[in-house]
Amino acid sequence: MASLALDRSSPRRMSEANRHELAELNHRLEAKPAARLKVENLSVTYATERGPFYAVDDVSFEVRPATNLGLVGESGCGKSTVVKALMGLQPDTAWVGGQALLDGDNILGLGERALQQIRWSRISLITQSAMNSLDPVYCIGDQIIEAIRAHERVSKSVAWARAEDMFALVGLPASRLFEFPHQFSGGMRQRTVIAMALALNAGMLLADEPTTALDPIMQSQIMSRIRGIHEQMRRSMILVTHDIAVVAETCEDTVVMYAGQVAEKGPTNDVLKLPLHPYTMGLQNAFPRLPVRGEPRQPLISIPGVVPNLHTPPKGCRFAGRCPFATDKCHSEPPPLVQVGHQSATCHYVDRAAEFRVLAAQPNTWRKTKAEA
Amino acid sequence: MNTLMTSDHRRPTISDHTSPVVVARDLKTHFQMSAGIFAALTGGAVPTAKALDGVDLRIREKEIVGLVGESGCGKSTLGMSLVRMYQPTHGQILYRGEDVTKVEGRRLKDYRRHAQIIFQDPYSSLNPRLTIGQIIEEPLIIHGLGNAAERRQKVVRALDLVRIPAKDNIDRYPSDLSGGQRQRIAIARALVLEPKFIVADEPVSMLDVSIQASVLELLDELSRELGLAVLYISHDIATVGYICDHVAVMYLGRIVEEGKAEDILSEPLHPYTQRLMAAIPRMDLADAPQRHELKGDVPSPMAIPPGCRFASRCPYATELCHAVEPDLAACLGTRKVRCHIHDDRAAAEYPHLRRPKQDQVTEMADLGVLAEVAGSRHG
Repeated sequence: MASLALDRSSPRRMSEANRHELAELNHRLEAKPAARLKVENLSVTYATERGPFYAVDDVSFEVRPATNLGLVGESGCGKSTVVKALMGLQPDTAWVGGQALLDGDNILGLGERALQQIRWSRISLITQSAMNSLDPVYCIGDQIIEAIRAHERVSKSVAWARAEDMFALVGLPASRLFEFPHQFSGGMRQRTVIAMALALNAGMLLADEPTTALDPIMQSQIMSRIRGIHEQMRRSMILVTHDIAVVAETCEDTVVMYAGQVAEKGPTNDVLKLPLHPYTMGLQNAFPRLPVRGEPRQPLISIPGVVPNLHTPPKGCRFAGRCPFATDKCHSEPPPLVQVGHQSATCHYVDRAAEFRVLAAQPNTWRKTKAEA
Repeated sequence: MNTLMTSDHRRPTISDHTSPVVVARDLKTHFQMSAGIFAALTGGAVPTAKALDGVDLRIREKEIVGLVGESGCGKSTLGMSLVRMYQPTHGQILYRGEDVTKVEGRRLKDYRRHAQIIFQDPYSSLNPRLTIGQIIEEPLIIHGLGNAAERRQKVVRALDLVRIPAKDNIDRYPSDLSGGQRQRIAIARALVLEPKFIVADEPVSMLDVSIQASVLELLDELSRELGLAVLYISHDIATVGYICDHVAVMYLGRIVEEGKAEDILSEPLHPYTQRLMAAIPRMDLADAPQRHELKGDVPSPMAIPPGCRFASRCPYATELCHAVEPDLAACLGTRKVRCHIHDDRAAAEYPHLRRPKQDQVTEMADLGVLAEVAGSRHG
């Protein structure tokens, strides 16, 4: 990887000692293993004026080392809240329960000092709005080396050389490290944030909607790059997105969240091809696809209704109000997490999933719920 | 109600004889930038951003025309120019045969009654201090239409059209509604004046995927029921396929390809359209196409390069592309493409310049770091 990066950057005048130091730094960083993250019973509750808001409720999943996990769902499902809690970025008014084991160490509820030590070096974040995550008064290079030097005892020139390597990796010319955020376009800023997140080769990357604000071409270029980097560096990643096709192309595992809870999780192939939860089926049918010549096109079906208010979460299944297959049991009893093969879903009727999948592909099925509601 | 038509009951084809509602002829909207006092004193040229640079477009009754392209290509400028929110600097806009390019005062207000626009963000386009009823009534008051009772009736009818129960919602505030409902209110506000032409500028891109379908379907039904001409602007080429009859792809102020929606979506000809289509993530990994990384960014509209506007980023570009701008040439029936690969005329005129060929990546193209990554992995 280092050799590839060096090819593209301009020849550097570095002293022999510095070159040695850089090689050592690169070697040290590359030796970091991909992390395993085990999230167990994570709950996040915000204290608001209208009482507690149960943003995330008892969420568990695992990111295996060197794999990508996609976290999908509508807005307001708690995806970003999970990421914030993992980075220790939740507001002071939030109550966080459960644990998140990063290579065996719980990273929830750490103090400021301990958080500083793991951020960037063991777990790093690629934020949604690259615009706001860069400081406008420092040049880009200074911001990257600040992060590097906070964790590694290296000289400025060595850290700068590392930053140049990272820039090459995301396809930006090294000379632009001297520029300021306002001189960059949206796509370039997003790439800068990715370069920063990679600078210390953290074992765990959290990408929170990394391409949402970008146009489709830039989006596809950034995602290709993230995939390429993943293939090369073998890091673990959580990718938060509402775009299930991005997950299909990028992630080995998928967690579908609904109203603060896990609706369904498992290998991406299983979850998106043969969903068990009616919500996953609904998401799939609502997703616009490109036509294939000669094949009849699936109709686009929206899910009626809205995500329930989490001040007063529904008693039974949280999706029951919008689910075309809901029964009295669904409205009164919270469903258990049922495992089927590698996949699991929180639904009372997992055994009828095959039948539901056929019905869910028909527009009339979803129309009925709307009339009742 | 919440479905879009499937292939078996698709939109009735609009005959070529249907008279167009809105026609744009060689429409240009250039913005003058501030030159600074030094340039002004020395008489230097004022920099001009050519946001929209010669577009021909025709939208007929009951027709939805899709306009796609990446950010900054001039899609919204075209939409805003057509409803006269921007003043075009060149060319013509015809509304039912009448030239409205330069109308002012009373006649401009009249035109605006017939041409409405729906914006992208339903969270900022609705005044939070007004009730739903007041928001929808406002255009009627501005245009001085009807007395209070008649206006109320029209508001109720507009809410009916967008499938929002008037009784429960007319006195609520936008903050009580979800994103999808707000966008419906924005549509109702546009419909209350009974327009004949609507520009929908990214109406669903701020909405969750789960409710996009219902808003798209609403637009589709309204265009047919009310005989509306709709310009649907979007960067999401996949949604365009569901509701549009005709699609135009824009790049840097010009249309680079247009034709029937199904033709363009299933078989794009222009390298830019091809790249735009390839950019869409696929549900099935096997369907994912090969993606050439486009080098650089869209050129600045203040310094448009000579030759083909896409040449600086096109993987197939040759000397001919950098020197001569291709025409929007008819190709395969109703399709029009602006590319030397599909148009022989320029190549015949300049035989000494190498002509681009389909799928032949030239050495001028830079496939970027990814190609190197792939190379190093294999090597």
